[in-house]
Amino acid sequence: MRGAPLGGATGAVAGPVIWAAGLALPFALDSSWVSIAAFFAIYAITALSEDVILGRAGMFDMGHAVYFGIGAYVTAILNTTLNVPILLTLPLAMLLAAAAGALLSAPLIRLRGDYLLVATIGFNAIFVLAMQNDPGGITGGSDGITGIGVPSLFGLQLESQSAMFWLDWVVLGAVLLVMRNLDRCEFGRALRYLKQDELAAGTLGVDARAVKTLAFALGAALAGLAGTLFAVQLSTVSPSSFVFTESVTLFAIVIVGGQGSIPGVLLGTALMFVVPQIFRGLAEYRYFVFGIAMVAVMVLRPQGLLPRRRAVT
Amino acid sequence: MGTFIQQVVNGLTVGGIYALIALGYTMVYGVMRLINFAHGDLCILGAFVGLSLLTGAAGSGHPGAALLLLAFVVSIIAIAVAGVVLERIAYRPLRKADRLAAVVSALGASLMIENGIMLVWGPQVHVFPAGLLPATTWHFAGATISFVQVMIILASLVLMAALYAFVNHTRFGTAIRAAAIDQDAARLMGINVNRVITSVFIIGPGLGAIGGLFIGIYYREAYFTMGWTYGLYAFIAAILGGIGNIPGAMLGGVLLGLFNAFAAGYVSSSWQDAITFGLLIAILLVRPSGLLGERVAEKV
Repeated sequence: MRGAPLGGATGAVAGPVIWAAGLALPFALDSSWVSIAAFFAIYAITALSEDVILGRAGMFDMGHAVYFGIGAYVTAILNTTLNVPILLTLPLAMLLAAAAGALLSAPLIRLRGDYLLVATIGFNAIFVLAMQNDPGGITGGSDGITGIGVPSLFGLQLESQSAMFWLDWVVLGAVLLVMRNLDRCEFGRALRYLKQDELAAGTLGVDARAVKTLAFALGAALAGLAGTLFAVQLSTVSPSSFVFTESVTLFAIVIVGGQGSIPGVLLGTALMFVVPQIFRGLAEYRYFVFGIAMVAVMVLRPQGLLPRRRAVT
Repeated sequence: MGTFIQQVVNGLTVGGIYALIALGYTMVYGVMRLINFAHGDLCILGAFVGLSLLTGAAGSGHPGAALLLLAFVVSIIAIAVAGVVLERIAYRPLRKADRLAAVVSALGASLMIENGIMLVWGPQVHVFPAGLLPATTWHFAGATISFVQVMIILASLVLMAALYAFVNHTRFGTAIRAAAIDQDAARLMGINVNRVITSVFIIGPGLGAIGGLFIGIYYREAYFTMGWTYGLYAFIAAILGGIGNIPGAMLGGVLLGLFNAFAAGYVSSSWQDAITFGLLIAILLVRPSGLLGERVAEKV
């Protein structure tokens, strides 16, 4: 199998260097590009969180935008109604998203792949409808919530686009560290065994149910984290940002990029979220070409663009 | 009582359409274990092909019924060809690959068809021409039943009966069922599995084109994102009945149509979809393989 160019020993050096170089982006780009880079970081975190569930644990989650949305709404509601500082809403956003992930998935993880996929599509549809119908008057209906404040760190208002980018980029760096460690720790190995052969993993003492629920909770928590950043970046949240097509895009990023492959997922994010921004002028043709590209990539490289290297044994 | 009968008729009409489209999902899944996410878009493509023919021929003086019949025939052929081409290009190369690769390929094909429709016909809502069919209505116990509803219900029943007979009582139908159970064993028995798969991609999209045109005629409109909406409903219907199971798709379609009609009639319509999806999740929890699906052990 061909190795990923950023995997292994070279990746250990190249990855952090590229990330550090990324910190200089606000000095090199104008503000609209810095904003695109910030969105890249946010969606990269979301896609990596989907990779925990789909790529690493092998559970077909096609409703991942729900957890992203929960994070964004928790921050938006707490900040606009109770004036909770943004960064204090962050742990709660992660916690609630994780709880939702664990609770929703717990009864479903025994379902066969495709049925889980369908059930998660259902969760996504229900979530979006619930946000639109404004239960208790707290979600703002179809218009969503506006006027979300800016985060402040040690009394410093992170107001400028560059400051927000740095916040997103640093969080992305932290998530990348988590993902790299996930490759090596016991929990990450358990996920790999489970994905490859659930029966064999069971005989090796892996508690499938617990590990899968935990993977769902971890993926959802990271998506909730990205949701907070998303709410801050846009200063507004509305149901349209968390619809089923967003979940489909996240799902496709992981498969097109390469399951369980960090460089693959990052490349996938760039292709699916950043390239469309560049071709804004051709908006009409964008998704048509997109669809063709998805078919072409799968037919030509069914393992994804940058497949995960075979684990060193 | 009038409302009750009205909802039953409305539900049966929509349910018949769901069932026709659900059959395409379920037959493809049965034989290939693939969720053909592009199926809903193919069906709506059928509606657009028929619409073009109908608006093109409007005012030509031909009787509406004859035009409509022609629209159905052309649309069925066009969509069956599209289905076969889709399978050749997007799914056949991935038959031995990771299942998720085929799922994403299907999602890509769906995006391509949906946006292809938008590029050709534009993003606006198209209105189906009026006066193609008699505007006759019948009143029965306080409910109003239109000619279109009767036509859709009857046509769906006839088509489903025909498909059931074909699959259960012909040699080729036996081959389809055999390939659905075990492709390798079917091949050893001399069944040409490639031909079975091609036939499934003719029958499914062909029935789907009829379903798509029915949607256009019943709601009198067509727009390019319709494929997702109705495709998802039909897909839920297929799951309800037990995906891969042909009578299941029929039952699931009719039940979902009735359920939706009653949810819309008696409960707030803004929560209608949430109730439908809630029902879906509940069924998956209680009976993961659907109402008529067999309980099969997961292969390891």
